[in-house]
Amino acid sequence: MPFSFLNPWLWLGALALAAPLWLHLRRKQETNLLPFSALRFLDDQPEPRASPWRLRNLVLFVLRALALLALVGAFAWPYVHEGNTAPIKESRVYVLDNTLSHQANDGFGHDRDRILRDLGKAAVDIQVAVVELSSTPRVLVSFGDDRAIAKRKLQELQPSFQRGSYLAAFRQASSLLANSLGGVKRIIFLGDNQENQWNENVNTPPFLRDLEIEMPKAGPPLLPNLSLSEPRVQRIFLGDKSLVNFTVKLSHAGEAKAANIVLRANEQVIFNRAVELEKQPETILLQAQWEAEPALWTRGEVTVEGVPDALAADNRVFFSLAPVVEGKVALLAQSHYLRLALSPEIMRGQWATRVLEPSKLSGELASNQDADVLVLESNYLQSADARKLLFRYLSNGRGVILLVNRLTPAIKGCLHELGFEAEGTVTAGKQNAEKFMFVFSNHPIFHPFLSPDYGNLMDVKVSKYIRLKTSQAMPLVFSEKGNGLFFQGTKTQGKLFVLPFGLDREHSTWPVHQTFIPFLDLTLQTARAEDPTPTNFEPGEVALVQLPAGSPVREVVLRDATMGSPLPSDGREARGEGNAAPAITRAPVEQGRAQVRLPDKPGLYASSYDDRDQIEKVFSINPSPKESQLVYVDASAALKVWQVAESKGQSLKPKVGLPARAKISLAGILQQRLWWWMELAGLGALMLEMVVADLKRRAES
Amino acid sequence: MPPAAQTLSERFDPKMLAALEGLDFKARYVMEGFLSGLHDSPFHGFSVEFSDYRNYQPGDDLRHLDWRLFARTDRLCIKRYMQETNVRFYVVCDTSASMQYRGTTAWGSKLECARILAAALTWFLLKQNDAAGMVTLSGGPRVEGQVPSLTTGPRRSTLDSGHPAIPEFIRPSQRPNQFGLILRQLELLRAAGGPCLAELLQHTVRLVHRRSVILFFSDLLEPSDDVALGFKQLRFHGHEVIIFQVLDRDELEFPFTEPKVFEDLETGVRRVVSPAAARETYLERFNAFMAAYQDLFHSLEMSHCVVRTDENPWRALAVFLSERKRLK
Repeated sequence: MPFSFLNPWLWLGALALAAPLWLHLRRKQETNLLPFSALRFLDDQPEPRASPWRLRNLVLFVLRALALLALVGAFAWPYVHEGNTAPIKESRVYVLDNTLSHQANDGFGHDRDRILRDLGKAAVDIQVAVVELSSTPRVLVSFGDDRAIAKRKLQELQPSFQRGSYLAAFRQASSLLANSLGGVKRIIFLGDNQENQWNENVNTPPFLRDLEIEMPKAGPPLLPNLSLSEPRVQRIFLGDKSLVNFTVKLSHAGEAKAANIVLRANEQVIFNRAVELEKQPETILLQAQWEAEPALWTRGEVTVEGVPDALAADNRVFFSLAPVVEGKVALLAQSHYLRLALSPEIMRGQWATRVLEPSKLSGELASNQDADVLVLESNYLQSADARKLLFRYLSNGRGVILLVNRLTPAIKGCLHELGFEAEGTVTAGKQNAEKFMFVFSNHPIFHPFLSPDYGNLMDVKVSKYIRLKTSQAMPLVFSEKGNGLFFQGTKTQGKLFVLPFGLDREHSTWPVHQTFIPFLDLTLQTARAEDPTPTNFEPGEVALVQLPAGSPVREVVLRDATMGSPLPSDGREARGEGNAAPAITRAPVEQGRAQVRLPDKPGLYASSYDDRDQIEKVFSINPSPKESQLVYVDASAALKVWQVAESKGQSLKPKVGLPARAKISLAGILQQRLWWWMELAGLGALMLEMVVADLKRRAES
Repeated sequence: MPPAAQTLSERFDPKMLAALEGLDFKARYVMEGFLSGLHDSPFHGFSVEFSDYRNYQPGDDLRHLDWRLFARTDRLCIKRYMQETNVRFYVVCDTSASMQYRGTTAWGSKLECARILAAALTWFLLKQNDAAGMVTLSGGPRVEGQVPSLTTGPRRSTLDSGHPAIPEFIRPSQRPNQFGLILRQLELLRAAGGPCLAELLQHTVRLVHRRSVILFFSDLLEPSDDVALGFKQLRFHGHEVIIFQVLDRDELEFPFTEPKVFEDLETGVRRVVSPAAARETYLERFNAFMAAYQDLFHSLEMSHCVVRTDENPWRALAVFLSERKRLK
């Protein structure tokens, strides 16, 4: 704090100084002085001179000097922060990029070391803060932290796998500087200038005002990288086999000619082989399938190795697949193929089919024992009960597969309610049957058919179908003539799949095609109501787990389920024997929901309820694929947009104002231990001086 | 040693005097102690009988007829002593600052000694049916006691606060409460202020009209020229003056040995005095001063008695009684 005569502490200190002086003068008695009545007879004697100062009592002098020094010192600088009372010249915020991409070539480590070096060199009149750029930017080091604490926090900081927002980090830094004391306010950005980061928030109103911004030096525009992303896994039943179909994207940038892929599932190596990358697109879709016990959790990971690879942290992805729970199908159809395909002999425990009697639909409605999916042919929609059943399934969030094999006004009306308009029947005949021209292969139903093992969908022919138009459904398959041959409704709560033709030989060859059974199984799987809780997340995200109404669950517990970690239950309820991995997170359930903050480290994490061992879900944590795009820009156009343009005539650099005063607060004063010690020392010296002076006076008298 | 065998000096106990509380007790202690030892002293033969009669003559004031004597003896007599031998006495006390001085061997300060003597004599006079009065000076707020001094800053002065001295006058009387009146006034006396003898004498000259006996208590530590006029005026007006000069042994003998800084009680002036070197000069000057006063009093036919504060005050009483007898 700058010295000022108007400082009330100065006057208080002066009063404290004057007190011992006054006591001293009061106490001092004139010695060697004799009052006399007849001095007139000695008027020629000399007058006394002012006696020179001489030290009469060393102990008293020392005590008084100590008291004065202690009190003066205490009131001279009552606000000590490790001796730093100088005005702040500069306030500096380091934005440290701690996203996955910045681990390339150990960029994070180098920048962290730079901050540590700067902390050691920075003068006391420079206040430093550090903002960690991650999924949620946070203030790692605040202005109030001393240098030792700041260094410790930085050294403890580990590189993360998260993706963060440059914009959020700069906003955080700007907010810090808005309340800082320095005359110069500076942001030093230590990141990799990833192109997709800067492009994400270009159109943001300016908010950086009167700040100096230092950007990192330009590096190479591109770094070589091998990465894996978007793992997808499904169960497919092919005959007697229960298969797991797995796909993953392999991205490669740079000069890598080959990469070795290793796929592990349930602690078994599914495949381990090299993939040629030369003359391959930048992104390659890898697919694998293997047999897996449907009743068990499937946990797996895929890794890629190759050189050159600037970022190794994105070379591994995780996936999991829940065990099969037998689904229930309600069938209201006459198609023999359909009945056969859904028979227990074919479905073998994946689907339990209950054939509904058209005459007993009212009882079905009354019993309210709906299956997971309703498969019905449109001719049953003539019945009001059937229509009620259809809409009940959809409104309750259950799936419906509707086969439009007949049109009547009633059926048209029902289709209209579902968002479809029937425009007539297309009868191509067997000779001119139309093939599937386009199949939405990215859809979960058709994605496995990218592998030829499940057959070729393009061989399916449809000879008679209803031409449907809709604006409330998504066509997934198109005929040669561009008509939709398979739709997914988007209007209802439950999933609706509509086939504009019947599953019989009259309409199509599909029932006898190789792809029919897998198609049916996948469609049933997709139509079945899913748990709204997703299981694939990026590091640091928050999963919202919803529980049924009235659930007694108190908390959701998260444990490490990466391969190698003990997994106490594989979908079956088991009595725990203490083999479970320790809990990583415990999220309380409030109003039927729990917010589970997922770990930063990629992997598999199992959630359970309370102290039960049964696994409810397995979350797959994989880095964002965007972090693997090591493409950099030199100059950031976004930064120029974010900065408030200076008005004409004003200097671009912020003015260096007067040193700001340190804020005075009682709490700050009370925390000044040195100040209190000096006060006590001064008072102690004063008390001791009084005692010594009193003893001396008594001795003299 | 039994009191009868003690000499006067031995009989006087300053500790006893100091232990007595109240000026009247101190006064009686002094006076009665003196009187009880009179038969041992060279001053025996005084009579304390004071009644005197003469035969009634036609024309005498019947108020002064001693009717009791008439009742007893059928003789008509007039109390002549009471009328004709009634002498007025005035106690005049110096209250300058120098009177507060008390040496290490003194039993009291000079003012204290003067006060006790004055009280004792007043008591005696009133006992003898003499009229006693008093003239003093009181000048506004005065500071009593020792002179504290500071090394720095202004001295707390013993000088008068600047207010003009106001004479306090008690008319002589034989009333029963006269002793108490004079006693109270004596107890109120405080030694403060600068030289005031000349002023005191002037007031005395102005206030005392009839021929009286002035009992003057002072240390006379002022130039004799300043006060000579006052004494001469008193003599001119026919007053008899008995001067009791109260001095301390330190003033008379200057027994100091250690060099010190002397500070005048009245003026506040300080001098560095080395007693070994200054004693001779001091005594020379002091004796000259004393001689000057003695010459003055001799020329004015005034009785002069030096009272030392380190000795018993009975010598002063003896002088007084001697003079009183002469005056009668």
